[in-house]
Amino acid sequence: MGTSRNVERRTILKAAGASAATLGLAATTGCGGGSGSGDGTVTLRYAWWGGEPRTIAIKKTIALFEKKYPKIKIKPEFTDYEAFWEKFQTQASGGNPPDVFQNAVGFLRKYDKRGVLMDLKSQADAGNLSLDDFRNGVLANGQVDGKQIGIPVGANTMALVIDLKAFKKAGVEAKFGWTWDEYFDALQTIQDKLKIAGDTGYFSIMYLYDLYLRQNGKAFFTDTDLGFTEDDLTQWWEDGYKRVRSGLVADPKKVEQVKPKSALSAGLAASEFTWDNFSIRYEGEGESDYGLAPIPTTDGKQTGQYLGSLMLSAFSGTKHPKEVAQFIDFMVHDPEVGKIMGYDRGILATTEQYDAFTPTDANNKGVKAYEEEVAKADVLGKITPHPSGADVIEAAFLRIGGEVAQGKTKPADAAKALFSEAKAAFAG
Amino acid sequence: MTSATSTPVVHSAGGRRRAGSIAWHVGALVVLAVVLYPVVWVIGASFKPSKDIIASLDLLPTKPVWANFSGLADGISGISISSFFWNSLMYAVLAVVGVVLSSSLTAYAFAKIRFAGRNLLFTLMIGTLLLPYHVLLIPQYVLFRNLELTDTLVPLVAGKFLAVEAFFVFLMVQFMRGLPRELDEAARLDGCGHFRTYWSIVLPLSRPAIITSAIFTFINAWNDFMGPLIYLNTPEKYTVSLGLMMFRDQEGISNYGSMIAMSLVALVPVIAFFMAFQRYLIDGMATSGLK
Amino acid sequence: MTLVKETPVRPAGKRSAAPAAGRRGRRRENLAGYLFMSPWIAGFLLLTAGPMIASLYYAFTSYNLFTPPQWVGLDNFTTMFQDPRWQKSVEVTLKYVVVATPLKLLLALGVALLLAQKRRGQGLYRAAFYMPSLIGASVSVGFVWRALFSDDAIVDRGQKVFGLDVGGWIGNPDYVIYALVALSIWQFGAPMVIFLAGLKQVPRELYEAAEVDGAGPLRRFWNITLPMISPVLFFNVLLESIHAFQVFGSAYVVSDTRCGPADATLVYTCYLYQKGFKEAQMGFASAMAWTLVVAVALVTAVLFWSQKKWVHYEEAAK
Repeated sequence: MGTSRNVERRTILKAAGASAATLGLAATTGCGGGSGSGDGTVTLRYAWWGGEPRTIAIKKTIALFEKKYPKIKIKPEFTDYEAFWEKFQTQASGGNPPDVFQNAVGFLRKYDKRGVLMDLKSQADAGNLSLDDFRNGVLANGQVDGKQIGIPVGANTMALVIDLKAFKKAGVEAKFGWTWDEYFDALQTIQDKLKIAGDTGYFSIMYLYDLYLRQNGKAFFTDTDLGFTEDDLTQWWEDGYKRVRSGLVADPKKVEQVKPKSALSAGLAASEFTWDNFSIRYEGEGESDYGLAPIPTTDGKQTGQYLGSLMLSAFSGTKHPKEVAQFIDFMVHDPEVGKIMGYDRGILATTEQYDAFTPTDANNKGVKAYEEEVAKADVLGKITPHPSGADVIEAAFLRIGGEVAQGKTKPADAAKALFSEAKAAFAG
Repeated sequence: MTSATSTPVVHSAGGRRRAGSIAWHVGALVVLAVVLYPVVWVIGASFKPSKDIIASLDLLPTKPVWANFSGLADGISGISISSFFWNSLMYAVLAVVGVVLSSSLTAYAFAKIRFAGRNLLFTLMIGTLLLPYHVLLIPQYVLFRNLELTDTLVPLVAGKFLAVEAFFVFLMVQFMRGLPRELDEAARLDGCGHFRTYWSIVLPLSRPAIITSAIFTFINAWNDFMGPLIYLNTPEKYTVSLGLMMFRDQEGISNYGSMIAMSLVALVPVIAFFMAFQRYLIDGMATSGLK
Repeated sequence: MTLVKETPVRPAGKRSAAPAAGRRGRRRENLAGYLFMSPWIAGFLLLTAGPMIASLYYAFTSYNLFTPPQWVGLDNFTTMFQDPRWQKSVEVTLKYVVVATPLKLLLALGVALLLAQKRRGQGLYRAAFYMPSLIGASVSVGFVWRALFSDDAIVDRGQKVFGLDVGGWIGNPDYVIYALVALSIWQFGAPMVIFLAGLKQVPRELYEAAEVDGAGPLRRFWNITLPMISPVLFFNVLLESIHAFQVFGSAYVVSDTRCGPADATLVYTCYLYQKGFKEAQMGFASAMAWTLVVAVALVTAVLFWSQKKWVHYEEAAK
């Protein structure tokens, strides 16, 4: 208690000063994204989601770009898919999204409606960005109401991933034009012979139901609404639940507990529907060999498939629209970029890049062969609209489908719940 | 300190004491086994090949591999792992300094100064405990964005310097209330001002509460995910908790091996901080301060 | 140095002899009070009250973060009360609070009593028992919990010994909540430490005196320990209940981010988070948040009201 009062005060002042200084210091390092500096150098924020291989590849392409455009600096921001969209939403709502960012079909209208996305047509007209040389009409994936709000970097399509060893052992074969009945018969054979389920839970995947609807002259979405009835969906989920109970579809309890691993790579089932460019994960996770197989059909011909895309979009409020356009142009057209990126975001979207890259590994070769076969079979249709809220509905479809699988919700109630949630999502 | 005479409760004959001692150790060991089993599993898992980690049931790897740890040396996505650790450390240390300073001052006012409106403010303060973190997130984000402070540590630590976390204020108030009133009243009668009473008497006596707050704050800041997720944009500024997410890949191959290895390594500073201070943690008043 | 030990235990309503009575003294006390409080007041106004008012306003609006909020009156609340997922989240949360909180506190107190005795290795045990709390809701906890509570893992094998054949809990909507409860109990370190600190504050003389009077361990616990640690017990009950109502991280990692299966771990804040940050329904999310605030406030009020009956403070003022 004998210490001098002055000393104490000095100490506390020093502590307070130190903390203030730290705060001040941090404040001066504030964000410099989207701003220009005196010498005409422009900095663009570029954000994407994805794993380490994608990030490393993109960083290489950025270095190429900066070499060619020394006056434009790119500030990368990257994270995983879930975090990306949460972050994007907060940033965009605060008027502070990245200048350029990776985008997907399901988010286009949502952020167009909110005024976040730039119409790149004017930049194309100004000659800063070429809209030529896109393959198979994928450029349309980035168009909404006559505006070009996304520029595709790749093309992908839904596929059936199968456990090759299991299919072979059971003596069943997947072939183009096979019907749903033939597919489920094959699964039945697998179940009988190998005592594993045939599928991991097809009926909860929105994009697969979309294909089924397209095979039957409908689609999951119209411009503003759902493109099917409650009865349609009730039927779809009733059939699904029936197959869960018969063991044709894997036990949802087991599927749940191996997550985040896929039930296919965990060996619980022999097939799973997903996007073709995601198929690399099965090799990484599982012990078997996996391959891409055709989507079952209703009429023996139409799979309902179409090409989807990952895209690059730009912020409508960017201070540097010209540089943004130049950057996107480089990223989608430069052959070197195509060579570096490969099929990580789907088959390369422009002919320059597609021709520049020759796949060498089995997975990329498989993806290429698959999309070529699909194209040859002439089953690719036009993409149907994805209204604002499609992302939320996709999640709801997966969740409610899971409740049906667990026997916690009756298919009819589940369909009702989805329609009610969809209504809220469209309104949001 | 371990001599039998200082044992507060057990004062009995040798035989009963030995029996009690055995029972004590058996009880403690049972709790220990249950508590540590999952920890051992995590350590074991960090030596399993990445493929085997998900849904693996074994406690220990059949054939331990180093790859998960050695892979960390290469960093992730071109960012060195040490950068995540440095960012987390800065965040946690600033948070601790802020919380200890601001919360103890506030707590002193609540516990030891009678001022008009104290009860009302105390109720308000307790009231803030009830607010779910999420409800303040967006308005706070808008505020910091308008101040152009996003992508810095400021939004993450500002609240700590402003005693926003009522938990710690409340904890310290409860402790300071438990301090014998005669002590600070004696000081006050001796002519010490409030600041001096606070600094020389109440603060040292509250060491258990302060160290407890420091430990909790450090852990919370170190493990904080939502705050950095919302406020930090530049990957080079990411904290460990955000860095961990970069091993996930919803569209490709997730590196769960390195993820679990890094989350283990991330425990080291927390454990070190805890170990360094835990012996002060529960020291009663009788052994703290007033020396 | 011996001041502490001579502290009378119960001030029993003794009023403080405030120094320098009179108006000037009071004014000085007021000034000192507000000076000490100034960081908190600034933080409260800037980071709590302001955002609070904003979110209270949002609760009565339709607000998607992008277009300005539109006043909808009580719509959010009426929608919410009829929303089956909201009802589910209330059910899940109540179950969690009611089961997890008492069990966790009982274990924390029991272990704290064990560790309050001076024994060899005591510090080591203490540190080890705290370990789970250091890990928090990190990704590795998600991994290990999902593994421990899967089919044929240790918990399943253990329960089979007792004739329970329900399989793994993680994938089972009827059981997964208990995996969450187990996680909460496993992380009993924080309340344990607070109990320990409280136990250390109990003057030994009281025990010695009681022992001279011939009081057994149970009576000593009931008559001395419990009243003496009642402030920290109160603190723990209050904080653990509030935390349980607001639980998020552990549900998030144990369910692999989905708060499922079949919404079985859809705790209140998880639904709030999905509504607010995934679906951008900030109006609805704010209404949810304020409903939670009111519910927790009621619980807190009951606890504070009850403390007059069982909590003993050294400080007499209030």
